Amino acid sequence: MRSLLDFLVRHSYVFLFILLEILSLVLLFGFNDRQKEAFWTSANSMSGTLFEWRSGVDGFFMLRKENAQLVEENTRLRNLLSAIADSQYVDLERSLSTEGVVAARVIDNSVRKDDNYITINKGRRDGIEPGMGVYCADGVVGVIMVSGRRYSVVMPILNGNTSISCKKKGSDSFGFLEWSGGDPYVAQLRDMPYHSAVEIGDTIVTTGFSSVFRENVPVGTVASVERSKNGYTLKVQVNLAVDLSDLSWVYINTQTADDEIEELYKEILN
Amino acid sequence: MDKESFVRRIFALIGLVLLQVLFLNRICLFGYVTPLFYIWMIVRFDSSMKRSGILLWAFFLGLIIDLFSGTPGLNAASATLLAMFQPGIVKLFVPLDRHDVLVPSSASMGGRPFAGYLLLMAALHHTVYFILRSIPLGDWTVLVLKIVFSTLLTFVLMLVTEHVSRGSGSKR
Repeated sequence: MRSLLDFLVRHSYVFLFILLEILSLVLLFGFNDRQKEAFWTSANSMSGTLFEWRSGVDGFFMLRKENAQLVEENTRLRNLLSAIADSQYVDLERSLSTEGVVAARVIDNSVRKDDNYITINKGRRDGIEPGMGVYCADGVVGVIMVSGRRYSVVMPILNGNTSISCKKKGSDSFGFLEWSGGDPYVAQLRDMPYHSAVEIGDTIVTTGFSSVFRENVPVGTVASVERSKNGYTLKVQVNLAVDLSDLSWVYINTQTADDEIEELYKEILN
Repeated sequence: MDKESFVRRIFALIGLVLLQVLFLNRICLFGYVTPLFYIWMIVRFDSSMKRSGILLWAFFLGLIIDLFSGTPGLNAASATLLAMFQPGIVKLFVPLDRHDVLVPSSASMGGRPFAGYLLLMAALHHTVYFILRSIPLGDWTVLVLKIVFSTLLTFVLMLVTEHVSRGSGSKR
């Protein structure tokens, strides 16, 4: 008995090892739902603070370029504004969308991995919730995946789990934008009906079906079209409008008229 | 463990965590290769340390890296496993009759054995890390490429660090 105890004490580190490994593996495989555990993503406030600090340093070196981009966007908005002022009629659709927009800074980003994520410096405190659409001056960036109190993680187009419904601008046939790794400038539009006349160079925009994005937010342009294996749909390669490797500011769609649509659906279903 | 070496170890831990999560995690050469230099801390554990102490340090080092990388348990599991085998791996590269307190380095072990030790440590850690990371295992060739090239990159980084910290270079 005594020698057994001795043995156990002398080898207690083996038990500690087993305990620590079990703990790690539970953490690693236990959270099937870990996407909702903001603590274990870069949306937790500690990593958020750290990454924000780093991006502050990075940002300092990119000011000139950022300024140029802002001026460009400003010009575009001014043009839009003057166009609206000139028009004599009220655009019904535009007036319906009560769009709330929050701007956020990108504090961590990757494009070279299999599944990429973007961390931004706005969270629940600023009204950001999972499922909201994220875009920038050039077009669609992705969808909010988790939001912590002050930070959120975005699932960008460059993530295997992202799927965004898109269409050819001016037409109604739609497909789903997905990304299967590799080139960070090209994504694939699947399930476009075979009869939809998609051609190289066409502009691809969001459908506005989901409550995530408004209609007609730019996504990219068609790079190539081929018939998919089953023969009924097209597989379209899309050159993305946004350079996701070079993002510093994004906008989040916090409120859309479509919230109302979603509520209606809920009422119908209940 | 005395207070001074405890404090020194805390600072080493903070430094390695910052280096890993702020800079090294961003490196992703060819979509495959990420250096995991933080195992340097485990490499340096001296032979006077208690086995349970080694395990706990490594576990928390991995866990803190996980906290900042969005990978719960991944680094904790692989770092703890490496720490479990570290004392044994040191013994592979020093003469059997050595019983003094040993901080693994090229000075205490000799350049060539130390390089071998670094390579084996990196290989063990990265193999466990990338296998756990890629579960469910899909593409074997990609997995092997990730392990081999990340191991080499971490290995080279550790060799360079050792040379720099010694001031003058020792030959491999």
